[in-house]
Amino acid sequence: MVEIGVDIGGTFTDVVCRAPGQSLRVMKVPTTRSDPSKAVLEAAQILSAEWGVSAADISRFVHGTTVATNAVLERKGPKTGLLTTAGFKDILEIGRQIRHTLYAAVLHPEEPGYLAPGALRQEIIERVGQDGSVVQPLDEQSVRDAAAKLVAEGVETIAICYLFSFVNPAHEQRTADIIREAYPDLALSLSCEVDPAFREYERTVVTTFDAYIKPVIDKYLSNLEDGLTEIGVPAHLQIMQSRGGIASSTVARQRPVRLFLSGPAAGVIGAQMVGDSADISDIISVDIGGTSSDIALIRAGEPLIRPEGQVAGYNIRVPMVDVNAIGSGGGSIAWIDPAGGLRVGPHSAGSEPGPACYARGGQEATVTDASIVLGYLDPDYFAGGTLQLSPELSFKVIEEKVAKPLGLTVEQAALGIHQVVNTQMTEGIRLVSIRQGYDPREFALLPLGGAGGIHAAALATELGIARMVVARHPGVLSATGLLSAAIEHETSTAFAQPISELSLPDVRAALDDLDTRCAELMSNENVPSKDVEIRYFADICYVGQSHYLEIPLSLDGDVGGALYDGFREAHNRIFGHAAKTPAQIVNLRSIHRYGGERMLDAPDAVPNGADAYKGTRDIIVQGHEGRLKAAIYNRELMAPGMDVHGPAVLEQSDTTTIVPPGWSVKVLDGGNILMSVNEGNAA
Amino acid sequence: MSAQQTIDPITLEVVRNKLEGIANEMQSTLLRSSFSPIVREGLDASASLFTLEGESLAQAIAIPIHLATMIPVVKRIVSEFAPDTMRPGDIYLMNDPYLGGTHLPDIALVMPIFADGRPIAFAAAMTHHQDVGGMSPGSIPTNATEIYQEGLRLPPLKFRDGPENFDETVIKILRLNSRIPDTFMGDINAQVSACTIGARRVATLAEGHGADMMLALFAELLDRSEKMTRDALLKLPQGTYSYVDFNDNDGIDLDQRIRIEVKVTLRDGRFMCDFTGTNKQVRGPFNCVPSGSQAAAYFALRTITGTDIPTNGGCFRAVDLTIPEGCILNPVEPAPVNSRTATIKRACGAILGSMRDILPEVVGADAAGEMLALMFGGTGSDGRRYVVGELIAGGSGAGPASDGVDVIETDATNCMNMPVEAFERDAPIRITKTALRRDSGGAGRQRGGLGIDREYEVLEGEIAFTHRGERHFCAPAGAFGGDEGMMARTIITRTDGTEEIVPSKLVTRLFPGDRVLIQTAGGGGFGPPKDRDRDQIKADVANGKVSKEQAKKIYGFST
Repeated sequence: MVEIGVDIGGTFTDVVCRAPGQSLRVMKVPTTRSDPSKAVLEAAQILSAEWGVSAADISRFVHGTTVATNAVLERKGPKTGLLTTAGFKDILEIGRQIRHTLYAAVLHPEEPGYLAPGALRQEIIERVGQDGSVVQPLDEQSVRDAAAKLVAEGVETIAICYLFSFVNPAHEQRTADIIREAYPDLALSLSCEVDPAFREYERTVVTTFDAYIKPVIDKYLSNLEDGLTEIGVPAHLQIMQSRGGIASSTVARQRPVRLFLSGPAAGVIGAQMVGDSADISDIISVDIGGTSSDIALIRAGEPLIRPEGQVAGYNIRVPMVDVNAIGSGGGSIAWIDPAGGLRVGPHSAGSEPGPACYARGGQEATVTDASIVLGYLDPDYFAGGTLQLSPELSFKVIEEKVAKPLGLTVEQAALGIHQVVNTQMTEGIRLVSIRQGYDPREFALLPLGGAGGIHAAALATELGIARMVVARHPGVLSATGLLSAAIEHETSTAFAQPISELSLPDVRAALDDLDTRCAELMSNENVPSKDVEIRYFADICYVGQSHYLEIPLSLDGDVGGALYDGFREAHNRIFGHAAKTPAQIVNLRSIHRYGGERMLDAPDAVPNGADAYKGTRDIIVQGHEGRLKAAIYNRELMAPGMDVHGPAVLEQSDTTTIVPPGWSVKVLDGGNILMSVNEGNAA
Repeated sequence: MSAQQTIDPITLEVVRNKLEGIANEMQSTLLRSSFSPIVREGLDASASLFTLEGESLAQAIAIPIHLATMIPVVKRIVSEFAPDTMRPGDIYLMNDPYLGGTHLPDIALVMPIFADGRPIAFAAAMTHHQDVGGMSPGSIPTNATEIYQEGLRLPPLKFRDGPENFDETVIKILRLNSRIPDTFMGDINAQVSACTIGARRVATLAEGHGADMMLALFAELLDRSEKMTRDALLKLPQGTYSYVDFNDNDGIDLDQRIRIEVKVTLRDGRFMCDFTGTNKQVRGPFNCVPSGSQAAAYFALRTITGTDIPTNGGCFRAVDLTIPEGCILNPVEPAPVNSRTATIKRACGAILGSMRDILPEVVGADAAGEMLALMFGGTGSDGRRYVVGELIAGGSGAGPASDGVDVIETDATNCMNMPVEAFERDAPIRITKTALRRDSGGAGRQRGGLGIDREYEVLEGEIAFTHRGERHFCAPAGAFGGDEGMMARTIITRTDGTEEIVPSKLVTRLFPGDRVLIQTAGGGGFGPPKDRDRDQIKADVANGKVSKEQAKKIYGFST
């Protein structure tokens, strides 16, 4: 019984291996961009070679993938056709007519028209009215002709999106039947299945993205499955979806548009799991990477979900964990503007050439270089010693690019760079929290990513957050999150009814239908149906409003009354008021979930803490004069129950955590760390 | 302020980032706590921080038309109420265009921010309110001929005295004058919340630094943006550049084009816009008080000086405007002003157009620069009254290295269109077509963006229909040998087959079976059509953006 979680990032593929009674094992292998499944298979082989894990013992294999996102970023999807209602073939390209770059006159398209350019869009004679009635019957010959034309053009996959198909899907379904009969190998995506909700542009976009990546995902998952079979892994492949639940690859390939946030969602689930271990259910996770930072909120133990998100700059209406990227990270470049002012970002040195201290030719002063100057990073123990840093290059570049022009010492300049980037991050975190109606002070901060622990205490102090949780393996939290996520299937349907006129039989009928579809999806998962937890939600807005909120729905008691109260409560939290005017349901949603075991690995050899202390190093901390003598600890050797007081630095192979004066650290059972502000030092 | 405040460059940048974060938080508060859909979805509200002198200090990203509009309001309030008489929690309010406002639905609230017991800055929020009275619901009557018909005029008023005492008299007057008093006050309260958040956070920020240092930091931030802006302007070829463009008419005198003329002079790090030669003010509501030309000039300035410069009032010190009194950009009271947007857009396009020869890669060919406004109103078969509005864009201009974008908002506005599936639920009208308007993009080495074809068919009842177009009579210009974009056109086809061509502005009635086909303008092309890449022409034909006939006729291309 061995469980494997594999998360593919841009640079590294992270692998974690969990077996009963053993400590969690962690590995990083370079990501193979050309075919990421190679790295996964390679990792599986290293597992057996280095860890003695036999492929035949692998009972679960859970995967978080960026293949969907990469296909979109690199525009490497197959030729994709789009069928629309006659008169509306350009909806995909017209979009909503707004632009995101405000101060520019020479503009660039903001709609994903490239997915299916005009030549690959065909109009079908049919029309359904807003009430679902058939205004113009489906002309089946026009479907056959259109499909034949698209196939002749070399199309491998087709999206079908007709007006009002979310009210009456018959024309789309019949169209699919006709095409399947003639071309059984074509991939099809129907808008009434992918996203049955109103607003034709948004539905067309999500359906066309689904069609565009379907063959890519299918091929990728097939390669991976074949490879796993070949090396003798008996487990069925499971994939993380954007909402934070996993699905069998059989289901995932049917609904590929739900995989865009596969990796980040796993990270949020990992954060949730770590929070559980510290009995903390309200968490802000901050994943600080090279070029950007991702911020997510977990409230009452549940990640916040948003109804649509951004992928490769396009708005895509598919539910996903509410992960917000801001353009500040360890690679952000500090520069001097023409008026002589210090600026940090938005440009980044990325991983190539990377910060100057990587000695790969980086000529710009980055945040990571500042971390070197401040004594936060041990040049000999970066990334567990896999990358030898050259601190003299950091000193040199910060002196030349920042300190001299500003008339500061190198140390002052480095501290300044940190202060500025920390300000950008705290403002980003504030905005994400208040937009959801939450005060960040009510949350604990959970740093992630290689640089999370370096900035976290400074961010917490600035935000008035008094507690932090540092995961035992923050660098591979996404991969560990994969192993503790629930299996989840979600279906939704448009359902327009005012709450005041709510018909319970209608609601039940709609939910029954959704439950049937969820159960079908669940049947691929090999789980006992009695243990599947079912939850319902309704998207609700005030009559006349067009943006809705997702509200839990219970079929007990006064259904309408509870929905209305729940809606007003959420509205008040997020928007600051809640009128007593009529509200209506827009969509219904059913979520079937088979609980993940939120279990942490059991370290077999609990360190006794004796060798954890490594000595001292001078660090420079904002708000404290001069250099501080910080105690350096090897995080991996710290024992549960151990207390450490700042100033201190906790080092481990995948991250470094700074403990400023006034903060204390307690190692929890299981290895996670709780950091808190000392009493009397309340932020 | 002490003579020598030493500015620490790190503190300066930290404070700048904080101020931007605070402005964003104010904006987020304003949008999420507003009641009316136009604010939340049209983003028609803005929040900013201002210096004591009324210069903008930090501004949230909102629609550009608001970039300048609050500046004269704050200046006006400072001149009416001396800052040293203000107390924490005071709120001031106004909307009158002739005293510094924009048009009557835009009401601004201003709150002083205190440190060490004295004011150091202002938090301000402006919202386009759904209804402020006047002769028609929504307070933007297209047939107004004087401002008194447009709604309630509010001079600079003290709206709240200290943190608690709202002026109940003012509230009673406001409520009585709006057709939707609850929504109206809800939106006002959202403005109060936004200002409160801004004032509280700036005050907290000031605690560690003190009032003197904060004032010194604010001054330094503005000075630096000013310096960078002037340096950027000095790097451009100095001289005077002029441009003329036209709007169709004012909706009353249908055959009179409206001339917008500008001479932009770049000299000594200044950006001088002289609108001498511009049309005199008009009878209809297309007049625009000077803050509109300011918004247009500021938009153009921010577009040509680059994104590295932090946007604040320092940038705008480089701008000098000359606007003759009595012209459409500086009307004399009581000229109506509610439909000023079309005028601002054209002024903005003209300033950009004047820069084209020296900055072709930044400016490109002319955009359609139209925001077609349609309004359908009537009573449904269920007896429910409805009013459904649409704002529809044309194409953008081509750049030297890229085609224009089809159907996209440009320059000073940025509004969403209406989904067919939303529109048909709200009105007994069926939309029968929504497509790119083939051949409408100006031909060129780079082709202009296309406009849209959209057709409406009336299903039942009698409908009051308002059409406020532009570019029906004056095409968007091409650049460097590129062709003009195709002009806009709207045809109403009655059930008896008669066709009526809409003269840009129209108020009429529609009946079941009537069809309205609107076609918005395309953007101008860039460079001679003969230089267009053959593969691009081929793709345009295949994708339906250019007809075979036009490909042959203009580009000499046949498949």
